[in-house]
Amino acid sequence: MSERVPAIAAAVVEGDTSTVKVLVQEALDGQDDPAGVLNEGLIAGMREVGRLFEEGEYFVPEMLVAARAMKEGLTILRPALVSADVKPVGKVLIGTVKGDLHDIGKNLVGMMLEGSGLEVEDLGTDVSPERFVEAVRSGGAGLLGLSALLTTTMPYIRTTIEALDEAGLRDGIKVIVGGAPVTEAFAREISADGYAPDASRAAALARSLIAP
Amino acid sequence: MTKRDVIHLVLEGERPLYVPWSFSFTEDAKDKLRAHYGDVDLEKALQNHLLPLGSDIGFFEDLGDHRVRDVFGVVWDRTVNRDIGFVENQILREPSLSGYSFPDPLDRRFFESIPSRIEEHGDRFRVFQLGFSLFERAWTLRGMENLLMDFYDNPRFVHELFEAIAAYNVAQVREALKYEIDAVYFGDDWGQQHGLLMGPRLWRKFIYPVLGMMYGTVHEAGKYVFIHSCGDVDELFDDLIAIGLNCFNPFQPEVMDVASLLERYRGQLTFHGGLSTQKTLPYGSVDDVRRETRDLLALGSKGGYIFSPAHAVEGDVPLENMLAFITLAQSQPGYVDQASVSAAVANDEEIPR
Repeated sequence: MSERVPAIAAAVVEGDTSTVKVLVQEALDGQDDPAGVLNEGLIAGMREVGRLFEEGEYFVPEMLVAARAMKEGLTILRPALVSADVKPVGKVLIGTVKGDLHDIGKNLVGMMLEGSGLEVEDLGTDVSPERFVEAVRSGGAGLLGLSALLTTTMPYIRTTIEALDEAGLRDGIKVIVGGAPVTEAFAREISADGYAPDASRAAALARSLIAP
Repeated sequence: MTKRDVIHLVLEGERPLYVPWSFSFTEDAKDKLRAHYGDVDLEKALQNHLLPLGSDIGFFEDLGDHRVRDVFGVVWDRTVNRDIGFVENQILREPSLSGYSFPDPLDRRFFESIPSRIEEHGDRFRVFQLGFSLFERAWTLRGMENLLMDFYDNPRFVHELFEAIAAYNVAQVREALKYEIDAVYFGDDWGQQHGLLMGPRLWRKFIYPVLGMMYGTVHEAGKYVFIHSCGDVDELFDDLIAIGLNCFNPFQPEVMDVASLLERYRGQLTFHGGLSTQKTLPYGSVDDVRRETRDLLALGSKGGYIFSPAHAVEGDVPLENMLAFITLAQSQPGYVDQASVSAAVANDEEIPR
């Protein structure tokens, strides 16, 4: 592994998109292992961003610029990952539940999940239980992340899990929940597999559940 | 002593005869209250101590299909949320104000009802409301994620945008100060469930200096400054007091320790809110609501507090829970609704107790 790879991680932490792009291209040109560039460069950088967020050093702006740098790097790296048959460690579906159009928190979770090496399919906001069921049924995902910001929409998290149960799909997928009014106690009450209070911890939780 | 006098006492950190209150409700919650109270003016039935003036979220052009456009050009989808809605368009696609004109801050609609409302509710404390007063106005124009990244990518644009919003606000506040108002109630959400969205460093660099200028305009006229700012923002209280903040709302018990903050800041900062809208009101029993209300009224009896749910009450709150806190507030010893007394005297009826 060349010294460029830790420099890629450092540039992700700084949210320095142009440096990340240059270094990823140089790493590929220099025959660095694409999986190493991904894991020790981009993902390691986002892991550090998550740590800084949890410690109160970083906030949403720093997370957004870092995630943008990571994504740009990933765009350059992806063809090499495909050629080397490097696959994501798992696939995750995320969405904000029915009646709720809030998406900032859900988007941050999506970025951190992607930054931890997972493939993310974002179903968007105001997603009905039926649409979640349909997306789970179509296969491939090992985990579903459900978000709600309002007390008025939080009950749809429960409804969605019940709909998965009724469709006979609940045993085949892990479900994690989050959002301002959501608590650990609520997650236990509705038999979710986990709860996280922020995007960084959501990514760590997801990895621990589907790619331990 | 009028409701207005009681609020003045509380803002000065003195012990009031009873804890004043001022509640607000979303449209869905109002529907439940209207069904209960019948054909009465809710503003009168609630006996709020604050009289909102102006228009906190502005004026809207109906575009049909549950969509409205505000005076800044922002289109709001109200299909789901009937009160505010969700931004549908992006006015500032580039990090630049070129080609964009701010609306008229002196639009008569913001001021024309002030005299009649003061005439009708003269006993109440008059607050001119100015919602979306900086960061929120900026992100509705530019997009939330874009604005948050602009702090790093385009800092000069962020300063320019915030200064333009402040100039609009100050012009509107100066006009409002020509009327017999008591305070300006700004509204600008900075918090999340945990900490600030943009963090304290960026808040102090970009937002704080502009707030100081806006608050100063109100204080120079000898009036009070209120702010509504959702989320976990209590780390900012000392900074806000330093630039003249007098009253903070919503005072959410899920994100801050309301009891210790009330004790710590009494005499320096008054709090408006405090009753749990994320847990107790939607999910608690009537007894839970009564217990929390009594605790808050006891804490507030020493001053520095205006009782209220921490946010506009949502439609998922049972009517019984709404009536529980309304009734306890209105039945405090020492409180007599002067408007009811005047009406009773005029009609030669027994004075309500």
